[in-house]
Amino acid sequence: MVASDLVVQSVANGLLLGGIYALAALGLSLVFGIMDVVNLAHGHMLMVGAYIAILIFAATGITPLVGMFLAIALMFGFGVLLQKVLLQHVVDEGLEQPIIVLFGLALVLQNVGRILLGGDARTADLGIPGNGFDLGFVFLSLPRTVTFVVSVLLIVATWALLQYTKTGQAIRATAQNRTAAKYMGIDTDRIYVITLGIGTALAGAAGALLSMIFPIDPYVGWSYLLTTFAVVVLGGVGSVLGTLVGGLVIGVSENLGALFLGGGYRNVVSLLIFLGVLLVRPQGLFGSGGGS
Amino acid sequence: MNLLKREAGGSLAEDRRVQALGVVAVLALAAVPFTTTDALTGLILTGLVYIMLGVSWDLIAGYAGQISLGHAAFFGMGAFVSAWLTTPGGAGLPPSAQLPLLAAILVGGIAAALIALVIGPIIFRLTGHYFAIGTLALAAVIELVMLDRRDLTGGATGYYINADIGLGEMISHGDMMFLLTLLATVITVAVTYYIVKGPAGLGMKAIHDDEDAASSLGVNPLKYKMYAFVVSSFFAGLAGALYAHHSLYINAQSTLAVTWTVDSLIVVILGGMGTFVGSFFGAALFLLLDNGLSAIVGGLATTVEGILIILFIIFLPSGLYGLIEDNLVEEISGSGADTDVDADAEIAND
Repeated sequence: MVASDLVVQSVANGLLLGGIYALAALGLSLVFGIMDVVNLAHGHMLMVGAYIAILIFAATGITPLVGMFLAIALMFGFGVLLQKVLLQHVVDEGLEQPIIVLFGLALVLQNVGRILLGGDARTADLGIPGNGFDLGFVFLSLPRTVTFVVSVLLIVATWALLQYTKTGQAIRATAQNRTAAKYMGIDTDRIYVITLGIGTALAGAAGALLSMIFPIDPYVGWSYLLTTFAVVVLGGVGSVLGTLVGGLVIGVSENLGALFLGGGYRNVVSLLIFLGVLLVRPQGLFGSGGGS
Repeated sequence: MNLLKREAGGSLAEDRRVQALGVVAVLALAAVPFTTTDALTGLILTGLVYIMLGVSWDLIAGYAGQISLGHAAFFGMGAFVSAWLTTPGGAGLPPSAQLPLLAAILVGGIAAALIALVIGPIIFRLTGHYFAIGTLALAAVIELVMLDRRDLTGGATGYYINADIGLGEMISHGDMMFLLTLLATVITVAVTYYIVKGPAGLGMKAIHDDEDAASSLGVNPLKYKMYAFVVSSFFAGLAGALYAHHSLYINAQSTLAVTWTVDSLIVVILGGMGTFVGSFFGAALFLLLDNGLSAIVGGLATTVEGILIILFIIFLPSGLYGLIEDNLVEEISGSGADTDVDADAEIAND
């Protein structure tokens, strides 16, 4: 039997990890909710964001917390370009084309990542001295705590952006009813561009944060795609609060799964939760019904 | 330039010259093991496997409209189940579990079909994007579990297969496997063609175009989805079993990897989704690209393939088949050739 203090520690680590998962999933959820497109390359975009932070850290020693902002900026630009050059041809053209375009993009990113950086896993560390927080019954490591706090701050910032800015309101209006939004004078094409930009930027941010906790290799994309999609399904498409809770639940379940079943089953647990939730409650725990 | 003529609404496969071309192609392929090197035979066998994967994926995705991203799981399970049966010792099974090679390969396909039969009713509760990701997740679960079961898969070392159906000096094992794969490819193509041209194919197209409308007209979506899924998985499993017994070595990491899903998808996208014969062109082009590109651009081959998928699906959604149809095929008779071409283009676009 696993000792109970290990379980408590595992839950704490899971909660802290769940914050990053929520951040990563938020981008996927936004794009799905607003554009009705599942970004199959989302995990690979996360991988690219992680590599940006790792490369900066390796070259200059600058903490990934700073590198993250470059990752956010570059990935925002990448998302904007992607929508303008490729996706605008296929969004709203049915199901198959966007899925396949993004599947192809995931392949390209994975392959380019492998060529530029090699197949080996790489990692960055926090780059800030400190030991973390010993609360007696549980120990919170510094990188995990810091990345959790930053993740939650970024989630709140995204939420505020959607809630209180003119663009955010336009994005939410487009999500509710694209045609009506268009009649109201909203440039929905531009909203799509911004949405994909924000979605990929969030993936980049989450990648930069994850690089401080887990090694990153060019093949992590698929697994993070499935993990973040599990979060989206659990939280409900388009729900910020749901995504946060979903992220925490998946983070904790993965850690407990790894503790009780062995590390190889870390991903299996979240995938099974994901399939289970989809089958029982496809609108998610908090969602009001996603697209199909 | 119109090399071929076609009755309006008719199928090219009814053209006698096309039929003759098919027969010649199969005969030429049958001569491959006797006239070329082992390496080339193996290469062309891979092409046949691509055709089987493409035709079977096109059935579920192009015709029934269910974008399955889990095709690799069925390919891989077909490979492993057949390997356990010809080489039971490797998985710690008793020698009595051993089956003759032909039976083992067939059981590999049947096992894949059974997996589809069991998970179909569950996974088809998902539609659209959810189905796509659900199948991707399912394949990932199968891959992770199989990777963990080193006793069954040989882990990182892989699984070596003992099999020899060669006929002494005359025909080597590899050559016999080639002929078997050719036979299986012909069967895959014939059965799939029969299905898509028959009433079931119409049912699949109906749920592809509009599931709700089809359902309200008495077409049972689940029935046709299951039909397509089980048949498609059977042929994918069969392809896996044949491939495994040609290479005589499989590995959970590569045989169950998403790569095989990617390959199936590339073949169909290059050839043209839902066009049936498109998969032949797609497999041929992909085989050329896969080997030609590796020689020219080396490690960048996957990048070029990814870019091709993107460009084809955006700018040439009817694939190579669409190009050929537009340039080489002339409609004869019928009220308006133009409208019919448009209708075809629409079907291919879907």
